[in-house]
Amino acid sequence: MEKKWISSVSLSLLLAGSVLAGCSTDNGGEGGGGDSGDKTTVTLAGWGGNPTEQALLEETLADFEEKNPDIDVKLEVIADQYMDVMKTRLIGGEGPDVFYLDAFEAPGMIETGVIEPLDEYVTDEFEVEDFEEPLLDAFKQDDATYGFPKDYSTLALFYNKTMFEEAGVEVPTTWEEMMEVSKALTKDGVYGYGVAPELARQYYVAESLGGSVVEDNMANFGSDEVIEALQPVIDQHNVDKTSAQPSEVGASSGGDMFGQQRAAMVLEGNWNIPYLEETFPDLEYGTAEVPTINGEKGTMAYTVAYVMNAASEKKEASWKLIEYLTGKEGMETWTSKGFALPTRKSVAEKLGYADDELRGSLVAGAEYATVWANGTNLPIITNNFNNQFISAFLGDRPLDEALKEAEEQANSEIGSEE
Amino acid sequence: MNRKYSKRSLKEAGQGYFFMSPTIFVLLIFILGPIFYAIFLSFNNVRLLGETSFDFVGLANYERVFDDRRAGIALWNTFKYVMIVVPSQTILAIVLAATLNAGMKGEKFFRIIYFLPTLTSSAVLTLIFMWMYNREGLVNFGLEKIGLPTYDFIGDPNVALTAIMVMNIWATAPFFMVIYLAALQDIPDSLYEAAELDGAGPIRKFWSITVPHLKPITSFVIIMGVIGTFQLFDQSYIFSGGSGGPDNSTLTVVLLIYQYAFKSMDTMGYAAAIAFVLAIVILVSTLIQRKLSNEENLY
Amino acid sequence: MKKKMNFGKIFLYIILCTYAVVTLIPFLWALSSSFKPLSEIVSGAINFIPQNFTLDNYRQIFIEQELFPRWMFNSVFIATVGTGLNILFNSMAGYALARLTFPGKKGLFIIILAVLMIPAQVTMIPNYLILREFGWLNSYQGMIVPSMINATFIFMMRQFFVNFPKELEEAAAIDGLSRIGTFFKVVLPLAKPALAAQAIFVFMGFWNDFMRPLIIMTDSSMYTLPLGLNTFKGQFVSYWNYIMAASMVFTLPVLLIYAFFNKYFIKGLSLTGGK
Repeated sequence: MEKKWISSVSLSLLLAGSVLAGCSTDNGGEGGGGDSGDKTTVTLAGWGGNPTEQALLEETLADFEEKNPDIDVKLEVIADQYMDVMKTRLIGGEGPDVFYLDAFEAPGMIETGVIEPLDEYVTDEFEVEDFEEPLLDAFKQDDATYGFPKDYSTLALFYNKTMFEEAGVEVPTTWEEMMEVSKALTKDGVYGYGVAPELARQYYVAESLGGSVVEDNMANFGSDEVIEALQPVIDQHNVDKTSAQPSEVGASSGGDMFGQQRAAMVLEGNWNIPYLEETFPDLEYGTAEVPTINGEKGTMAYTVAYVMNAASEKKEASWKLIEYLTGKEGMETWTSKGFALPTRKSVAEKLGYADDELRGSLVAGAEYATVWANGTNLPIITNNFNNQFISAFLGDRPLDEALKEAEEQANSEIGSEE
Repeated sequence: MNRKYSKRSLKEAGQGYFFMSPTIFVLLIFILGPIFYAIFLSFNNVRLLGETSFDFVGLANYERVFDDRRAGIALWNTFKYVMIVVPSQTILAIVLAATLNAGMKGEKFFRIIYFLPTLTSSAVLTLIFMWMYNREGLVNFGLEKIGLPTYDFIGDPNVALTAIMVMNIWATAPFFMVIYLAALQDIPDSLYEAAELDGAGPIRKFWSITVPHLKPITSFVIIMGVIGTFQLFDQSYIFSGGSGGPDNSTLTVVLLIYQYAFKSMDTMGYAAAIAFVLAIVILVSTLIQRKLSNEENLY
Repeated sequence: MKKKMNFGKIFLYIILCTYAVVTLIPFLWALSSSFKPLSEIVSGAINFIPQNFTLDNYRQIFIEQELFPRWMFNSVFIATVGTGLNILFNSMAGYALARLTFPGKKGLFIIILAVLMIPAQVTMIPNYLILREFGWLNSYQGMIVPSMINATFIFMMRQFFVNFPKELEEAAAIDGLSRIGTFFKVVLPLAKPALAAQAIFVFMGFWNDFMRPLIIMTDSSMYTLPLGLNTFKGQFVSYWNYIMAASMVFTLPVLLIYAFFNKYFIKGLSLTGGK
């Protein structure tokens, strides 16, 4: 009896499957996304995120389709390992027409020639000058622009108001003050400062004394200026014992560590605001600009652009999509709820984030931030830096020794590649 | 077998190929094809993305493996890992299977529970373990309760690899347990009854009947264990955020291959070369295992 | 005699229970997390009973994801067809390697083992290129055909058949059954425990496969469950509540299948052990 049941179920599955498979080949056409009738289908790929954020993107796309009735946008969400999947599809010549590209990955991708330069599509109405310049520069190579940043975030100091009141200290404005108040704020399992010991977060600190992490596309973070600049980060953790990384208090990110009230201060980005609101609604916190180092303001900026596949067969329609998404109107919808900050000055002004109580310090940072991108070898350099910086952070080996070794390893990997 | 095939052996050969035909078809098109392509890549410096270019470099990629300090570390980490995990998971699997096959009440229930780790995808398991292993997680909570020292399993290089090992043994043993369980069904009960008449206790029965009878399956379990553990990737990727740190302590060979294949441009050829060096290492270990266990049947 | 047995039994139960607890804890935690709001999961508290019980995570999956039934169908279809083909082909190959003599057998066996030793990371791109050549991107064939055999289980089946009593086949031959007839009518029915083990593993392999659909399926109506339910990992923030609920949704069906096949292990036992 049971056997019959199983075989009939599998048989009907088989039939249904072949019918469905038939359907999808019929309207899918060659290689996914042909033109049906007069409509052009443009594929847009990106990574996933918060359901509310996804809904916002879909809303923006619906607006675009309404204004461009001849274009259909097909959204492809790549759930994981975004860059690996994207590279594989591009190698196979089956990449999407338009996709997200992080500034960090941009130089390497642009160099290979898979990304279409956009300068010739740009019209005066598009107002390129409206973009924050450092963010736009991250997607330029040899004076050509390959992508327009869709949004960005800088880092700002998030501080726990309740803890600051209890300890009777002021919000720090310099790095020295930050180290001092950390001492007052650290007590039984709560640390003054929650730190992320990785290059993406420490880059501007590393370069604060005039050193450079990357020079001529080679690792240079073993230089004395860089080591001297990073030493306080290590000392605060190992000597003062007033800072901790998330895993040391059982948190999975800086945001969690801050939300769980295990750290009184963290340096986080815009993404942390909706996250805290949703996850830790009772938390009393404020934001401030990142404390200055040697009197100089500094922070990181992370940005992502929409870029066009150089092999796309629908470049005109693809450009229309990019133009809309990074244009004033599309960007305003996309950034309207504050999940991301607009890269256009006019949109930022209109939405008033500069005066926003929480987002103001993030917007202020845009002016002096270091954009997280530098040459084609930054991924290798970052990998080696992170691998060794953490051993110094944990006190297993001195910082100079760890970084010098990592630098040597990074440069040998870069060298044998060329 | 001589030059002249007898009619019978010809017929048997035909049957053999018939039985093998689907396998040969898939092997040729979908498995060997990509492997040959990868072999080709390993002798070239290649750029696949954008303007494709191949630059024949002979054995240079292979020579580079032996100069690469991180490749050495990765191989050593992986080797330690294999030496500890494979015997542990094999013994655990055989003991669990024998226990579950002892004819006790509630076996069905235990079998389903033990199987849970195998059902859950390894990425989710790793995440669950990350939570249990963290500074204030369940494991440290337990250690503290019984008065043992606690660790930062994720952040501390000295314990990170051990943490991954424990997790892997726990997650893989049930897979092999099920296979052992299936194999145990083949052992005729008469053998046990005869041994019982000779006055053998449960332990002696286990060693003199169960273990020898499971030999072909044990060699399967060990070889698959060696292949699987040499290719450790997911756990170390998630634990270290892809860098293999701290201080290369969670760097495995496949993680290194992945870094070269996807994280840096134009090193696909070198990644393929490391992969083939790894394959040779695995092959040699398998042969050594075969010699040690004196398994006639295997090849 | 009796006393000794009891002592042994208690000892066995202690082993069984300890390991059961070790196994259940992570699983129960994931289960309970799927009923917690995100704030409770990341609060770091070690509680198995949710303080703020919620079904929102499941609601997000079942109701908000319009394509959920389609993904479920894709997963079930691919895994069922794939498993059927695997059981048949792997067993055939395993049998030939264990029992038949033909030229090139040794070489084939070594090749089958050797392909397992090459890490998937270097064959991912060429695999993709081949599927593209066939025009099998975004298709069921692309998922099923390249995986309709599995070297691991060919090897496993071979090891099972090596142990098989030869007499049965000889008896069948005397009864006038052909090799092929013997295989289907005598050998396969007797290999049920091994086939059941194989079926579960192959099914799970298809069910949990993430990398292959991630690369070849661009059309969201062709996603499988793990792919469709895995979009909750943002660039900076991960939504554990949804991820845990999703992982429960795709673990439970396999658990049911396992519970179903489990009886084949028991059956072998009750034939011999039912005193």
